[in-house]
Amino acid sequence: MSPALLQTLSLARRSVKGTFRFPQAWFPSLFFPLVLMAIFTASFGTSAAHIPGFPKIDGFLSFAMTGAIVQGVLISGVGAGGFFAADIEGGFFDRLASSPASRSAILVSRLVAGMFLATCQAIFFMAIALIFGATIQGGVVGALIVIVLAGLLAIPIGGLGVLLALRTGSAEAVQGMFPLFFALMFFSSTFFPRETMTGWFQTVANLNPISHLVEGMRQQIIVGVDWRAAGVSLAIIIGLAVLTVGGSALNLRRRLEGNQ
Amino acid sequence: MDEAIVVEGLEREFKGGIRAVDGIDLHVRAGEVYGFLGPNGAGKSTTVRMLTTLLRPTGGTATVAGFDVLHQAGDVRKSIGVALQDAAIDPFMTGRELLRLQAILHAIPRIEGHARGEELLERVGLIDAADRRVGTYSGGMRRRLDLALALVHEPVVLFLDEPTTGLDPTSRVALWEEVRRLNKESGTTVFLTTQYLEEADQLAERVGIIDGGKIVAEGTPAQLKAEIGDPTLVITPTDPSQLEAASGVLRTFGPSADTKPGATAVRLHEGTEGIVRVVRALDDAGISTAGIELHQPSLDDVFVERTGHRLEGDAEGAAGGKGRRGRKSRQ
Repeated sequence: MSPALLQTLSLARRSVKGTFRFPQAWFPSLFFPLVLMAIFTASFGTSAAHIPGFPKIDGFLSFAMTGAIVQGVLISGVGAGGFFAADIEGGFFDRLASSPASRSAILVSRLVAGMFLATCQAIFFMAIALIFGATIQGGVVGALIVIVLAGLLAIPIGGLGVLLALRTGSAEAVQGMFPLFFALMFFSSTFFPRETMTGWFQTVANLNPISHLVEGMRQQIIVGVDWRAAGVSLAIIIGLAVLTVGGSALNLRRRLEGNQ
Repeated sequence: MDEAIVVEGLEREFKGGIRAVDGIDLHVRAGEVYGFLGPNGAGKSTTVRMLTTLLRPTGGTATVAGFDVLHQAGDVRKSIGVALQDAAIDPFMTGRELLRLQAILHAIPRIEGHARGEELLERVGLIDAADRRVGTYSGGMRRRLDLALALVHEPVVLFLDEPTTGLDPTSRVALWEEVRRLNKESGTTVFLTTQYLEEADQLAERVGIIDGGKIVAEGTPAQLKAEIGDPTLVITPTDPSQLEAASGVLRTFGPSADTKPGATAVRLHEGTEGIVRVVRALDDAGISTAGIELHQPSLDDVFVERTGHRLEGDAEGAAGGKGRRGRKSRQ
């Protein structure tokens, strides 16, 4: 294994360990999506089928599962940014920067760790939903598509977290962006279909890439394997990743050059 | 490589025109322990950050272990060990995990890296705490681990930025011992910044005093003190009414010097050998003494002489701001 690859994987392992050893980091990303999933299912579980425009579903839980998965990835992204900022604040970043370790390993390791954690989370949420009676129309293939997309989604979201960390250098400032992530989700079809929205709210949700991303994943669960929809999700993930990871890389370079 | 660190006209200006480092020259010989002494905000950490490739100089040149910090940064990083201010250590990892990770960062083969990690844990006395999370370590333990981390790849030049700030006296002395032993056994060049005179005096073969981004004095502690000149002899007469008479006797041995109330002092021209003659003269004059103290010039005197203010007083006064991280002092 090349030193750079080994360094990336070792630093990723450190990030994963750090997350597991700090319950405040992973607990919210599991707890809040579960609570919302439970509340929405309890509130709309029986009436959803009667809402005009609501897609035909097997049960509300099947519909809500994707929302929980995406929400979990978003919360973890904030966490990843927070950890990265803490590394800058605490000086661990300087330790890496003053060592001959691969420069890209510093950034990529954080994203790899995020992918791993997001994949675990997606499996967890899916398992919980299935236990409580949700169904996946796409079967094993559909489930795998959703899990893989969730893992990949961690790249642009983690990239955004790291970008904020590099720009602010403060864990608190990164945590402070949390409401923004939430707003992004609420003004999308993460929790409810766009068909049930009206007016400006629908316009915003229509424009919000998160809507199309989530729908591409949800399609696999409530309708069946749909490669075209998965392709749309993947394209959005790639587009966002180019922006956020590219921005992170630029800012990392600036910081490494000590110009900030 | 005769010179481990060569710095010429090094400058760092921050946004807003603040010159943290204002054209310094340094020559540190291979195998030397060099002490960089100065108060908070003097430019010590900024200099170290430039020498360890963490910060780009805005002027001048610097080579470390024969490599240019700007154009051969990768080679510099392979040659240096760095323990920065505040012992930056991930609290969620154990000492052993961090040492293994550090070995990987330096591309040391696995088996060798593990062996080296164990050796260093043993050496800095952390073998029993190796599997505990660093968050549970005391300040002294963190510094020792930080030192061990900096040594994983057997660096040619070791940078220690205020290694004992905030440590209790016992831990401080233990760390000094470790640095001395390292320098003696492995011949590692040590560049040490400190705001403690005693630390510079104890550890450093040569000392550079920095204030306001400029080096104001440089030399061995003995040389620097010798520049200040004669030792001060302080006499406390048993009978306070004889103070005036005692001062009269002392004035024949040199110029009087400031001292505490109830005592009188002189700068001894003859140096230490003059004490016997002073005591005899006091005896002849019928003055009995309650106390005789001889003060050699300290690095603090050197500091005062060169900068016009005291170092230790400043350091204490700024102690409240010690929570500041190096990062923040970069403006």
